[in-house]
Amino acid sequence: MSGISRRDFIKRAVASSVTGGMVVTGAGKLAHAHIKEPWGSFIDLTKCDGCPGLSVPACVSACRKENSSKFPQPAEEIENYWPRNTKEDWSDKKDLTTRLTPYNWLFVQKVTVNHNGKKVQVFVPRRCMHCDNPPCANLCPFGAQYKTPEGPVLINKDLCLGGRKCRQVCPWGIPARQAGVGLYMKIAPKYLGAGVMYKCDLCYHRLKDGRSPACMEACPQKAMAVGSKETMRKMALKRAREIGGFTYGINENGGTSTFYVSPVPFEKIHQVLVEQKSKQTNPSTPGFPGMPVNAGNILDTANGMVTGVLIAPVAGAVAAGYAAYRTMKGGDEGGK
Amino acid sequence: MANKIFKMEKKVQRHSPSVRFVHWSVAVSTFVLIFSGFGQMPMYARYYLDTLPGLWWSSDYSVTLPMHYIAAAVLMFAVGYHIVFHLMRKEFGILPRRGDIKESCQIIKAMLTNGEEPPSDKFLAEQRLAYVFIAFWFLVVIITGVIKVLKNLSSITFDGTFMVWTNDLHTFASFMIVFGIIAHLGAFIFKSNRPLIMSMFTGKIDLRYVKHRHSLWYERLQGASSKGCESEDQFKEGACR
Repeated sequence: MSGISRRDFIKRAVASSVTGGMVVTGAGKLAHAHIKEPWGSFIDLTKCDGCPGLSVPACVSACRKENSSKFPQPAEEIENYWPRNTKEDWSDKKDLTTRLTPYNWLFVQKVTVNHNGKKVQVFVPRRCMHCDNPPCANLCPFGAQYKTPEGPVLINKDLCLGGRKCRQVCPWGIPARQAGVGLYMKIAPKYLGAGVMYKCDLCYHRLKDGRSPACMEACPQKAMAVGSKETMRKMALKRAREIGGFTYGINENGGTSTFYVSPVPFEKIHQVLVEQKSKQTNPSTPGFPGMPVNAGNILDTANGMVTGVLIAPVAGAVAAGYAAYRTMKGGDEGGK
Repeated sequence: MANKIFKMEKKVQRHSPSVRFVHWSVAVSTFVLIFSGFGQMPMYARYYLDTLPGLWWSSDYSVTLPMHYIAAAVLMFAVGYHIVFHLMRKEFGILPRRGDIKESCQIIKAMLTNGEEPPSDKFLAEQRLAYVFIAFWFLVVIITGVIKVLKNLSSITFDGTFMVWTNDLHTFASFMIVFGIIAHLGAFIFKSNRPLIMSMFTGKIDLRYVKHRHSLWYERLQGASSKGCESEDQFKEGACR
């Protein structure tokens, strides 16, 4: 914040506090209850402290309590995914709160990075980013995921077969799979299908009622906010300018509706998260996302071909017109 | 189609270059579409297909999705070509006619019992029915496929329920095409259908086969030839010597 006058600093501090307070408190509820445009959210990592006095951060506990009725209740006997000798069963790890699981849709990552010669600790609440053009929803072969007009990306647990393609095409690998539950159990559970995918739905039921997501309501630091997406984006950019910080979620995966602001570069956060994951007992276990900066959208390549795909039948028709004309005039087709 | 008799070679032009181009474009693109399409349902990794030599890429959506798009473009080019080419030339001989179901049963019965087949035109009744089956499901798969392509664009979001139906219809139509292809290839179990295989490469078929199996078509070709026409086309257009 070098170069900023004391008067400007006070003005900005007051303005950001008032705006932030309005969004995350009662005034915020009113504001987003009536919004007509898509929702977005803002996560201020300068405020999140990981709830040092609690064994589980308040947002995580609130999320688990709010969504417990949506958590999977798998069969007692779950078969492996033939021909493999594996299955994804988290039902005996329901209490795990240090990664994303079918029973834990939000967790907080603790990261310490060296920045400007100082050690800075940040706490990063992690959940689905609710992307603008979500490959998870677009590429689900059964349409079991979809983006709502309001913004949240939802999973239809009655249609999902647990193929976990959504997790593979998500830059953060967010959706978590539980075996022994869902439609596949009624078909050929040993041979086809693998369960149901679960993830944050941004408390869609609460948003529709004009209430904030449970995690945001529970946050003692008021580090998270929900409102119109554009307002949240502007708020994140403003906050980043104020602190000389960094944003995440505006461009990643082609744009998301979750905007983080951090006092340290996200490249450094990502680097530490990758290191943390590599040191885990089984580093390939899903549910511990990194924060790759400018992560691309897997649909970009395919979408770049759309014009060619749509023109193809027209081009074929034109070529046929020429060929037919030639043969009708010359008699023998394509020959001579 | 320049259907004509090559008297010296004792052959008949059956499949024109355009027909062969469309057939092989559709065949190759459909094979790629089926392979990459099944790959969109996450199964190649689970069933170890991607561990087979040279198939490591089969479970990588960043490879199979663009591959699906490219093959779809080739298929749609060929379909666009096919429709316009035959519309312009007013060639509708492959479309089903009244009584085709009954006649198909007679032909299949004759093939199974070595009996006498009813006289046929250029296309057998069963070929006309097979065409309409495969053409219908190709149109379904293309229309639903285009919707799926549009849905992937960031500027377009379709209703969730609509997409469930579109996805399921696309998958179902794909299965129908697979069944159609199996039946198409299965037809060559019968010896009497095999002369057509080479024709799809060379374009020509034995005159004896035409006389025997496509007597109605042969009579028309003969009629054209007797009037000094080089081909059936010239005969239709009255452009003979």
